Amino acid sequence: MTATAPKQQENPLAEGLALRRTPDPCALVIFGASGDLTHKKLMPALYALAVRRLLPQRFAIVGVARTDGDDDSFRQDMEAAVKQHARDPFKQETWDELAPQLHYVSTDFADASGEDKVHDLLGKLDEDEELGGNRVFYLAVPPPAFPTIVEALGKRRDDRGWTRLVVEKPFGHDLASAQQLTATLLEYFKEEEIFRIDHYLGKETVQNMLALRFANGIFEPIWNRQFVDHVQITVAESIGIEARAGYYEHAGAIRDIFQNHLLQLLALTAMEPPIDFTSDSVHNEKVKVLRALHTPGPKSVVRGQYGRGFVEGEEVVAYREEAGVAAESMTETYVAAKLYVDNWRWADTPFYVRMGKRLARHETTIAIQFKEAPHPPFEESAAEGLRPNVLVVHVQPDEGVSLAIGAKVPGQGMTIRTVHMDFLYGGAFRTGMPEAYERLILDTMLGDSTLFTRADEVEQQWLLVDAIVASWQRDKPAFPNYPSGTWGPPSADELLHRDGRSWRRH
Amino acid sequence: MATALSELDWFGEDVCLADVDTALARLRAQAAAEAASMRTSVMTHLAWVPHGWREQARSTLEGMAELHPSRTILLFPEPNADDNRIDARAEVERWEVPDTDRGLVTEVVELTLRGARAKAPASIVEPLLISDLPVFLRWRGEPPWGAPELEQLVGVADRLIVDSTEWDDIPAAYGRLAELFPLCAASDIAWARTSRWRSHLATLWPALADVRTVRVRGTAAQAWLLCGWLRSRLGRDEISVEHDPAEKLESVELDGEAVPLPPGDPPAPSDVLSDELEHFTPDPVYEAAVLAAVG
Repeated sequence: MTATAPKQQENPLAEGLALRRTPDPCALVIFGASGDLTHKKLMPALYALAVRRLLPQRFAIVGVARTDGDDDSFRQDMEAAVKQHARDPFKQETWDELAPQLHYVSTDFADASGEDKVHDLLGKLDEDEELGGNRVFYLAVPPPAFPTIVEALGKRRDDRGWTRLVVEKPFGHDLASAQQLTATLLEYFKEEEIFRIDHYLGKETVQNMLALRFANGIFEPIWNRQFVDHVQITVAESIGIEARAGYYEHAGAIRDIFQNHLLQLLALTAMEPPIDFTSDSVHNEKVKVLRALHTPGPKSVVRGQYGRGFVEGEEVVAYREEAGVAAESMTETYVAAKLYVDNWRWADTPFYVRMGKRLARHETTIAIQFKEAPHPPFEESAAEGLRPNVLVVHVQPDEGVSLAIGAKVPGQGMTIRTVHMDFLYGGAFRTGMPEAYERLILDTMLGDSTLFTRADEVEQQWLLVDAIVASWQRDKPAFPNYPSGTWGPPSADELLHRDGRSWRRH
Repeated sequence: MATALSELDWFGEDVCLADVDTALARLRAQAAAEAASMRTSVMTHLAWVPHGWREQARSTLEGMAELHPSRTILLFPEPNADDNRIDARAEVERWEVPDTDRGLVTEVVELTLRGARAKAPASIVEPLLISDLPVFLRWRGEPPWGAPELEQLVGVADRLIVDSTEWDDIPAAYGRLAELFPLCAASDIAWARTSRWRSHLATLWPALADVRTVRVRGTAAQAWLLCGWLRSRLGRDEISVEHDPAEKLESVELDGEAVPLPPGDPPAPSDVLSDELEHFTPDPVYEAAVLAAVG
């Protein structure tokens, strides 16, 4: 037998095999390894991937933080995090396989010797574990630390293997700072190496929005201004700002949620069908929507700030009474807006969006409200319980899709009422729902950036936000203007009432 | 009446509402694992059930899921409890769809509101309401007129369903009920139970146009509501009422003359409630009868 197979030939043995997506050997380096994100999201997600054997066989996790510690203390800390936050029951044998792959470097990255420590450890892991120089650098640190870390990483890059850089939001504070951040990143990394995480895009339901629209022939023909009366997108949180006053006072709801999660949900709802499901095709269509967004006038945007109230039966304090918040703070904790996508498909179809903290419930939904039947041939009393058809995509909680349709009540006579039929993913498939970070970490290792945000998307999002924020400089609303545990300020209701519509109930 | 094919339940002490949501999702998944089933809902059915009304509230629910698949939320207030917490029981019932191997699931959530957690019930139920669907609020016993819990729950409900038979202070309490009419449509089980008699009395028109006295053997609520109905429909506030107490509506006399019994049997309690859940808009005839009963 002679070994003369051509080098570039595809593996003929793979034909017909359902090969699982398994990443190349690599090292995942987490900057900010002692932080909340690592404990609550990243490590539980990595454990879930380990349970499902989706991690590379040759793999290393390197935690980097200023906190003192070593490999052993890091492993103990991460074991506790997995036990507390993982969606899977703790399995000792899985942990025993994963734990030796965890390493820790205690360093301040402003210190050049710290950079060397990480670099040296990665070099050693490359040799010991045969990682091939493949790296994922995960920046789970506050934005001010980005430039130092990026520069240090960039200066030590070599040509071996691939490198991917994961950046958590916020991607800047406005358009100028976002462009500056992008310039910093591009100094050392190519755009295709940068993975900007908006964790909403990793949620199953958000991905299912694409499946719903583009895998079903029945929805897309009516997904336009001819049949859709309007769209409502709600990102509601019942929690307050918790311990994030330092960040939130500068960000507010518009930078915390609107600029990223909400505009991404809108883009996925309104975008044209991509020619394929590759990263660039999907990004290109989303950017077209973001570019088509009409800048709303002052009367089309409402901002609010929560006062005291009740959430789940417990009295909670006003925003201005939260620890670390200025007594006269003018930071908004709520934003509602009427947006228009100025294109052929959506012209004159309003997209009402709202997001806020300390609202009545924790819920993220995209509701497509269809136009009413033109001439229901029933007596008025028969159809008094009938409401317009609404297709609701539940992003969280209760991930799934609901369709509200009119149906005859069984029995004598003709009484029609609205029935909700729920396709809840939890009840449709027996497999558990993966956490967003599982999908996103795996996609990063696989080099698939479809569910991440591209630089031009971020810039378009900031263009809109900057225009809205600029208009806010001219007035000073009377905050607080909504009690905690309600659905926001009355002016948000008026925003829709002026158009003869109302927010979805509850 | 069909019986549930299966009931899956969960109980938790000192819970947050996310725990309830998670439990419901898990129970629905379990139900779906047994056989294909879909959650269908036409409303959220909310019931405020003070101490002493629990068993009646639960028994009234039996049979309702067939016509009104819904999420039912039973609130058991215990404002005098020593601690402040929410205890919860969640139940998913799977019902057979006749002649198929499919089912539909409905949900019942029982929340015991202990201590201060009973003071702001709207903030507790709001996260559990099914979006976009009407909310029916069943209030057991006489509502605490003017109390925050009543005003809050009326604020999230489309229709308030009471049974004025359960009230002591009649007819004065009707005046307090009428104050809620601008805020929320109202139904009264006591009124619904007079339906057969009202239909029958209507057949006596025009002979009863000049009636002066109506004598009712039944509950006080039925006596006052029938009188109020006659006053408002005939436009004669001077019609007087005489009441002989009985547990159900047994007889009606107009100016001393007995009205023959109406045909048919009185409906079962769950059927009466079920009928009320069909209505979404205010009932102007009932509202006028209530106002006329107060005088």
